[in-house]
Amino acid sequence: MSALTAVMTREAKIRATNLLFIFWDLLYPLGYLLVFGVGINASLGFSSGDAAVDYNGFFLAGVLSMASFGIASNTSWSFFLDRDNGIFYEMLTYPMSRSEYLVGKVLFNVLIGVLQGLITVLLAAILLGVRLRPAGLPLLALGMTVGTAGWFFFYAIFALLIRRNDAFNTVNSICYFIFLFASSVFYPLDPLPAAYRTIAYANPITWQVDLLRYATVGLGDPARVALESGAFVVFTLAAFGAAVLALRQQE
Amino acid sequence: MPDIAIRVDHLVKDFGGRFRARTRAVDDLSFSVTRGTIFGLLGPNGAGKTTTLRVLTTLVRPTSGDARVMGFDVVRQPTDVRCNIVVVIQEHAAELLLSVRDNLLTFARFYGQSGAAIRRCADRVMDEFGLMPEANRKAQDLSGGFRRRIQVAKVFMVDTPVVFLDEFSTGMDPILKRTVMDRLRRETARGRTIVLTTQVLSEAEDLCDDILIIDKGRQVARGDLNALKLLTARICEVTVTFDTAPGNIDAVLSAFQPISVRTSQNTVHITLKDEEARALELAMALAAHHRVLRLEINGASLEDIFIELTQKGAPS
Repeated sequence: MSALTAVMTREAKIRATNLLFIFWDLLYPLGYLLVFGVGINASLGFSSGDAAVDYNGFFLAGVLSMASFGIASNTSWSFFLDRDNGIFYEMLTYPMSRSEYLVGKVLFNVLIGVLQGLITVLLAAILLGVRLRPAGLPLLALGMTVGTAGWFFFYAIFALLIRRNDAFNTVNSICYFIFLFASSVFYPLDPLPAAYRTIAYANPITWQVDLLRYATVGLGDPARVALESGAFVVFTLAAFGAAVLALRQQE
Repeated sequence: MPDIAIRVDHLVKDFGGRFRARTRAVDDLSFSVTRGTIFGLLGPNGAGKTTTLRVLTTLVRPTSGDARVMGFDVVRQPTDVRCNIVVVIQEHAAELLLSVRDNLLTFARFYGQSGAAIRRCADRVMDEFGLMPEANRKAQDLSGGFRRRIQVAKVFMVDTPVVFLDEFSTGMDPILKRTVMDRLRRETARGRTIVLTTQVLSEAEDLCDDILIIDKGRQVARGDLNALKLLTARICEVTVTFDTAPGNIDAVLSAFQPISVRTSQNTVHITLKDEEARALELAMALAAHHRVLRLEINGASLEDIFIELTQKGAPS
């Protein structure tokens, strides 16, 4: 068994033998869509400029990116757990490079992200009647793959560099607050004040959401989506480089 | 195959730097470890034992100097080094969210093992370590002692040529400790090399073929137990048991300038750096004050040697 497979098998074992993880990984985003999305859709109404897309359809991409973000955040928390009980350092002496360790972890989480995305999209179509764009499914898988990897590497930097649990939790909460709310996850950005809009467009989660929204329901300008996707790939590569560097500095 | 499993040349490791005061944890340390031996790395807290181990296990990079494990350089060939070692670190490291059995299987998979063979191996190891009744319980639901068992049991799931054990017996009951020590001896007979650090000097005395004592990152003494005893040949240990608690014997003792004195109920343990005749004189002086029930005069134990060498510096 290769090192990558061994890392992925370890992650799979941990997930598969803990029911809470299965719930969190696979059903939590759908729950968000059903409770929050349906509530907003029914009580406030929504206009996307496309009569075929209601709030459920609009919010689906936001939920998918929240799923990527949530997987990354939970996995980086597991770095802390592993480090607290020492297994993290012991694993660094196993026969593999540190990059293999990181890549193995991200591959498994990407797999979960894509699976979670597919389940969410399928059930959104069946339960909420969201009209999906079948041609966009490969783009959706790509968006979930790169998105989950990008956020995983981004969070891994903090998880590896910050030593104290309380400090990491604070950073985690700030990231959640800023990234999710100053973005296009919950609402369209165009009606917002200019300063707010600028921050939101500079937010990598907006780049991912816009790609996923275009892939699922066809909303958005293709040229802008292409530009944002390129920016997200650069963000992912930079985060990967920084995470590998942080992992090499573990002493 | 090389006869030398580990070679360390002029190893230096500094911590700190740009914004913090620089601390030298390992200072120009050189030694080698022969294959198929049990090598003990001893020293007081902060001596640099764990740092040396962390360099050899590729967890930290040395500041300067060379270190090789089975011929592989720890800086330039870290993955090759890792393929040849198994490490039990100081903390009670276990996969908390996995069962005992999955802890062992997961570990073995990293070393390229799979299939029915590792399941059989896991069963055998769990049986040996008294883990079978807990096989399906998650490590997080077990006590620290059981987690330590899992951690040490993993060593016997794989067959790497070098084993590093950092304070391996912490939290182990004496029976299990004896089992592990016997098993370690059998492993060296099969050609495996064991490197251990320990604060329990009787453990090192029982196990180690070769001992390196370090302090402040530097070598203080090196050799097997007999060679170390030669370094402190004039140390002896006097144990006197009185019929009642000995009361004030400080005046008698101070005339003999003991290295250490330890009293437990009616018994006094005195370490003297002197000729054995002087030890007899001391015993007679004590007998003049109290009735002596039992008298024992021994050569230095590893603990005496250790205290002598690390507290007062190596003998000239």
